[in-house]
Amino acid sequence: MRKLLLTLLFLPSTAFAQVQSGWGNVGQQEEKGFSWTDPLWPDFWMAWTPATLAVFVGIFSAIALIGVLEGFKYRDGIERRGVLGLTTTLGDRLFITLLGSAYIFLAWLGLVGQPVWTPLFVSVGWGIFVFWKV
Amino acid sequence: MRTENQKAWFFVLPVLALVAFNALVPMMTVVNYSVQETFGNNQFFWEGLGWFEQILRSDRFQAALGRQFLFTFLILLIEVPLGIIVALSMPRKGFWVPVCLVLMALPMLIPWNVVGSMWNIFTLPKIGLMGYFLNDVLGINYDMTQQPISAWVTVIVMDVWHWTSLVVLLCYAGLVSIPDAYYQAAKIDGASPWSVFRYIQLPKMKTVLTIAVLLRFMDSFNIYTEPFVLTGGGPGNSTTLLSIDLVKIALGQFDLGPAAAMSLIYFAITLLVSWVFYTLMTKDDAQ
Repeated sequence: MRKLLLTLLFLPSTAFAQVQSGWGNVGQQEEKGFSWTDPLWPDFWMAWTPATLAVFVGIFSAIALIGVLEGFKYRDGIERRGVLGLTTTLGDRLFITLLGSAYIFLAWLGLVGQPVWTPLFVSVGWGIFVFWKV
Repeated sequence: MRTENQKAWFFVLPVLALVAFNALVPMMTVVNYSVQETFGNNQFFWEGLGWFEQILRSDRFQAALGRQFLFTFLILLIEVPLGIIVALSMPRKGFWVPVCLVLMALPMLIPWNVVGSMWNIFTLPKIGLMGYFLNDVLGINYDMTQQPISAWVTVIVMDVWHWTSLVVLLCYAGLVSIPDAYYQAAKIDGASPWSVFRYIQLPKMKTVLTIAVLLRFMDSFNIYTEPFVLTGGGPGNSTTLLSIDLVKIALGQFDLGPAAAMSLIYFAITLLVSWVFYTLMTKDDAQ
């Protein structure tokens, strides 16, 4: 009788211990935080992820920014001859920056490999150089 | 004088919408696929930049890229000078003008896969007219289904046959637009035929020649149908150009991730070379 009482007394505490150790979550969907690399809309054929979406948002906002600058701020005298002997506008410089960055990344991936922090900094440097001098 | 009217942009809008659907959306999808792995069923798993690394370092891609550059180089080397020569020797006026123009336009009117099968039947040893003639009449050992060299020669001759007339027609349009006064002035000065070509005809053809070189570069760099129908990329891998290899990876092996990465690299190369061509050829105009 005393044994039974003791057992009954301790039963809730074992349940509490189970919850504490995480057994209460077995079979339930684990709550996951935001991830840049998970599918944004599962089962959608375009297979967006936050990371790739961010890349395109970046590119399109850069184009939009350049367009606004060329259309309203620097209406005249935007063209100039740079160090490469090319006559470029802001849009040309953005194009050269983006294409050059793609090649910097590809060259690094082909010759060295991941991670790609170094080409990222090189590309930013390339972009600054192009907008400044080319 | 600047015009302040910006209404022309509205006429560009339909094209923009069309391009968004047939180029931009597929392009963005390819970028998404290139960093993920899929086993079908629209389920995707993050892969990062691994496919790019794998493709760039694979011997298979490098070999296909080398073949592609060789092919495009040979095509431009043959078709551009040949096109200029043919255009120069065409009559400028008279009865033969329309005859020549129609003859020149004919090859371009034939669909690409028909050109491929035509040349396939034409060049097959034993049964093809050209294959039989070369092997059994002239005694040249020629078999484009077995020998890589023969296959390459056949693919190049086929492309020259199909597309030189594009260069010819563009150059001819440039030549026709030169006023007679230029030739008269050259004659008075006693200019040699070479000087006439170098200082009158070539500068006048420059704009159309730029377009011709660009079009021939892009078309020959992205060529798929004709060599695929003619040789199927064989014998072995000898005529497997980039696009043929790409389709093998994407649709044959269903490796969408690597194929997407490869097509982006392909796109970057086409874009850079076209931009360099265009910039170099229009550079003097800006000065």
